[in-house]
Amino acid sequence: MAGIYIHIPFCKRKCRYCDFVSFPDFAHEDIYFVALISEMRRYASLMRGRRFDTVFIGGGTPTVLKPGRLKALLTEAKRCFDIAGDAEITCEANPESASDEKLGELIEAGANRLSLGLQSADAAVLETIGRIHTPDDFLKAVSATRSAGFSNINADVMHGLPGQTAESYLDTLRLVTDLELPHISSYSLILEEGTPMFGAVSKGELALPSPDEVADMEDAGFEFLDGKGYERYEISNFAMPGFECRHNLNYWDNGEYLGLGLNSHSALRLKGEWTRFHNTERLNEYVKELGEGKLPVRDTQKIERGEEMFETVMLGLRKTAGILRADFERRFGVDPVEHYAPAVTELELDGMLEVTEERLFLTKHGLDFQNEALIKFMEQ
Amino acid sequence: MAFPKELIRNFSIIAHIDHGKSTLADRLMQLTQTVAERDMEEQLLDSMDIERERGITIKSTAVRMFYTAKDGNTYMLNLIDTPGHVDFTYEVSRALAACEGAVLVVDATQGIEAQTLANVYLALDNDLEIIPVINKIDLVSADPENAIHEIEDIIGLPAEDAPRISAKTGLNVEEVLERIVSDIPAPKGDPEAPLKALIFDSLYDNYKGALSYVRIMEGTVRPGDRIRFMHSGNEFDVTEVGIFDPHWQPVKELTAGEVGYISASIKSVAETKVGDTITLANNPAKEPLHGYKQANPMVFCGIYPADGADYEALKEALDKLILNDASISYEPETSQALGYGFRCGFLGLLHMEIAEERLEREFDLDLVTTAPSVIYRVVMLDGSVRMIDNPSNLPSPMEIQRMEEPMVQAHIMTPPEYVGSIMELCQEKRGIFIDMTYLEENRVKLTYRMPLNEIIFDFFDGLKSRSRGYASFDYELGEYEQSDLVKLDFLLNGDLCDALSTIVHRDKAYAKGRAVAEKLQEVIPRQQFEIPIQAAIGGKIIARETVRAVRKDVLAKCYGGDITRKKKLLEKQKEGKKRMRQVGTVSVPSDAFMSVLRIN
Repeated sequence: MAGIYIHIPFCKRKCRYCDFVSFPDFAHEDIYFVALISEMRRYASLMRGRRFDTVFIGGGTPTVLKPGRLKALLTEAKRCFDIAGDAEITCEANPESASDEKLGELIEAGANRLSLGLQSADAAVLETIGRIHTPDDFLKAVSATRSAGFSNINADVMHGLPGQTAESYLDTLRLVTDLELPHISSYSLILEEGTPMFGAVSKGELALPSPDEVADMEDAGFEFLDGKGYERYEISNFAMPGFECRHNLNYWDNGEYLGLGLNSHSALRLKGEWTRFHNTERLNEYVKELGEGKLPVRDTQKIERGEEMFETVMLGLRKTAGILRADFERRFGVDPVEHYAPAVTELELDGMLEVTEERLFLTKHGLDFQNEALIKFMEQ
Repeated sequence: MAFPKELIRNFSIIAHIDHGKSTLADRLMQLTQTVAERDMEEQLLDSMDIERERGITIKSTAVRMFYTAKDGNTYMLNLIDTPGHVDFTYEVSRALAACEGAVLVVDATQGIEAQTLANVYLALDNDLEIIPVINKIDLVSADPENAIHEIEDIIGLPAEDAPRISAKTGLNVEEVLERIVSDIPAPKGDPEAPLKALIFDSLYDNYKGALSYVRIMEGTVRPGDRIRFMHSGNEFDVTEVGIFDPHWQPVKELTAGEVGYISASIKSVAETKVGDTITLANNPAKEPLHGYKQANPMVFCGIYPADGADYEALKEALDKLILNDASISYEPETSQALGYGFRCGFLGLLHMEIAEERLEREFDLDLVTTAPSVIYRVVMLDGSVRMIDNPSNLPSPMEIQRMEEPMVQAHIMTPPEYVGSIMELCQEKRGIFIDMTYLEENRVKLTYRMPLNEIIFDFFDGLKSRSRGYASFDYELGEYEQSDLVKLDFLLNGDLCDALSTIVHRDKAYAKGRAVAEKLQEVIPRQQFEIPIQAAIGGKIIARETVRAVRKDVLAKCYGGDITRKKKLLEKQKEGKKRMRQVGTVSVPSDAFMSVLRIN
């Protein structure tokens, strides 16, 4: 498996919690688009012989691009790279920008999955966190998405938001499940330094729910989703059977991916070596270097085998199905249960990890304390 | 040829912290061109960073100056700088014993402080000629007349003609030099007599080894001489003698009346003890100079590396530290909570703080220290006596007949308006009122008998805050007294945490137990299970707090393909875990042990 990620760093307005690279003005949209196309072309020959199974256009808000641009990007991607006929092609959209026009364009270009940023169905919460859409916009967007021809639709929601209660969170989930969307991502808010929300919270202008309240929310919400037939297949992701996000599953399998666009990250096996790098996060550098025919790559790291193993564990244990022992052994020539025997035994005794013939995976308790579990693997 | 003895003046400067001792010393060096203008660095004598930052002198040092006085003669002035804190009273007394006179600097805006008074008495004990000097007269708030009255009334020294100076601007400083020359007697001593050199300080140098800073009282010493330290009996061959210029300057000989250093390839300052007398092995003096004392540590604490892996580094650092400070004692100790570390003894609380700070700063170590303890005298049922400096080693109460703790006589000087709140403080600290005297209208001297263990905690801070910084304080050690002492223990999830145990007076155990338990509840992070925190005396629980269980780790989002952030987060948590200590089932951050020390 291998995936392509394309980053669109523009938004109408930046959400108050967001620390991704994204700009609230479109002055540079044209030059960025040109640079992105030239980046794809630069990679075309380098990626020859690699079959890609997924494409994910994320942001920012990809659907704020000028008409025709999304289609042009996907068309160019298909020209430059060997993309499987049955590839999962996802695009992110925010409710207010999921217009019929953009959605139609995406379908025409071969996109088959749409990810909508709802975050909350509570109008007051949406306003506090700086979203510009209303719950009603979301309903309209879902119906537009379906009319355009998408059936594989995800809703991103968040918990642990300022002003949010367990009830408000459950209302959000109720809305999404009533709409029978087949996939839900529910991330708990992480307050990132440097964001406006971080400032507001440190100044005491905004209060976050306590860790216990967040835990309550999460337990209630996840139980609710389970009752509705959604499977928690990863720490924060829920899907109806067969609707798991293949692009993200590839990340969690520690598979190869090529990141295109500002500050996007890549992991590739290059000349036999597991390699990670990312693009510059400065728009001017990105445009300039591509204009000079260079790749705007930073921090290229060769990952040693031991490190690659740990990454595989760290990412694989996010999935409730855990790690397939045979896959791990095929990749590293050693059974993970044997290789990590002390950590595995200790975690099994603590009731955090289970091991079967095929797999090792974290229990519910283990998922709750995933960091602690991973540190055990790390220390070994 | 030796410098004519009658033209030598050996003196020191006595002053309270901030009253301008170092500034005056700098100014004297400048006036006598001992230091070229361009080399002048503020407060040359205080050579350690910590000394400069805290504005206090920790080690003694000396400098030789030449001054051509108004009488036309050129005098050799040896300034011996003394430590300025109660922890170092003995060192001060030896430095003063090396002088014939002292300049008493009094801040015209502040008047006399307790510490100054203590040092003046030491100087008088050593028969020193005292020259009062009123400093900081350039300040608007200066009240030189008041300062003069205080000197006359409190110390009983005539001060009407005391030079009124500003060390900062240099105003009238020359007058101080003239007074040193005219008032302080020249040293006595016979250069031909058997050698008697008083060690007033010692210092370790990487190249020269341990240097003895000496005042030659009798005789002469030259390179090549075989010398004997009269108290230790050890003998060495002198490789170099020299003076302070202010940097080390080798000379051919040091002779009676002079001040300088002796180098003899000595490996540690433990051999060159302050107060010892150096003599010649082949022509020894009959008796050593009087006044020698073995400096005994008074305050003890456990010092551990914050990261257990740094034990060896801590050991090396302590080895190096005591090369320069023989008054620190240390021996390995093990704590169930903190692992491998050292039990260290210090002359006092400031001495302890300075040592900790030097270890952290000069050796780049991250330390955990346990609560300071004094030495308790424990009389067992069978009448035998044990000296206990670590609460963990206290025998079971069943075996103890009685316990005794060291007392001090504390002298506090304060403006009268703070007397009430200071008396309250002393009461809280179990002080027994001895005396109160009005030294004059604006100054009261309080005398209390107090347990040392109450002083080593936060007495000084309390005094400062209750007197808005105006009160000063000094103490001398007294006898051991019987006391109702108990060992206060803390249990985390049922397991005793030895590093938190302290010995306290029974009346204070409840309040202290509660305060520490509350603090622990704040600083111990929530873990997967609930953690009861209990304070106990013997088997009896006197306070309880609970750290509630945490329900989940923070689940980091998967930042697109950026897994380095998640890895960094885990690395950080892993590093954090290294700084955690395991007490039974409970992980306790190293900082937690320190934070309970800062409870008022």
